[in-house]
Amino acid sequence: MPYDVNAVKQRWEGHETPLRWGRYPVEHEPIRRHCHMLDDTNPLFIDDGHCPPVMVDFFASQGPWPPGDFDILGLIGQIPTPGNRLINLNQEFEWFLPVRVGDRLGARHRVAAIHQRGTKLDPLSVWIRTETTIVNEREEVVAVRTNQILVHRTPEEIATGASRA
Amino acid sequence: MSAALERFWEDVQLGEELKGFSLELTMTRMVLQISGTQDFYPIHHDPAFARAAGHADIFINTAFIRGCLCRLLTDWMGRAGFLKALGFQMRRPNLVGETIAVRGRVAKKQSGGRVELDVWIESARDTAITVPGRATVILPSRG
Repeated sequence: MPYDVNAVKQRWEGHETPLRWGRYPVEHEPIRRHCHMLDDTNPLFIDDGHCPPVMVDFFASQGPWPPGDFDILGLIGQIPTPGNRLINLNQEFEWFLPVRVGDRLGARHRVAAIHQRGTKLDPLSVWIRTETTIVNEREEVVAVRTNQILVHRTPEEIATGASRA
Repeated sequence: MSAALERFWEDVQLGEELKGFSLELTMTRMVLQISGTQDFYPIHHDPAFARAAGHADIFINTAFIRGCLCRLLTDWMGRAGFLKALGFQMRRPNLVGETIAVRGRVAKKQSGGRVELDVWIESARDTAITVPGRATVILPSRG
């Protein structure tokens, strides 16, 4: 049966996850690892306990280990698509409040839009836009993020006409 | 890095170039990427997985890319600046073995201490912009 993107849109667009708190509070060590990978020596981050703004969703997630819902991956994995290979395409953040070591963050995700449009990777590529709201322990919004991800098949799956949905 | 300084809105010049930086995407850097982002999706560390998905090789992930842009902006804006918004498109993967340059330029000044900037990542291989972006920061005023 061919992939019915309209049925998937009807089922999943607008779907929201409940607020879930990050497994751990904002901590020095992950901030230092983040800075280390970028040669970032900013003392605000590596010494003073300011959270780099782009790490707020990291601290709002369950983390990859012990296994948990790492950011939007658990949500994306539930949406039926012909392939299951992922590639992120664009992202937007707006920040409202600073975050410091010791803060506790949580996130809600919403499926904003699903489209099917062929790409060089796969003629049956599916584009999924999500909106994530990140809050602190007082449930004040610290940031809003939108993300566009592409879900595609492997060349082998395309060659054989395989589809997972 | 320059975060120890205070940058004031009045001192910002339209068209001003930000002090950028370059990073060589060695295999060690790719390992640092996994450590720093905790993103274990294999396309960023397993060449066989990346090639099976139709890519030339492993490439840096979203969290690394936005980390680069964030470093560029937070270095420039100083201790009292606030990063208000950042958006970017990942138009082409930056593969292991490449050297990337992270750059920015002041695009617009607005009231309320707001400054809009064009930010981007380019590949040293062909100087193509692989990640164009736009950011807004809020700076303190001398007033």
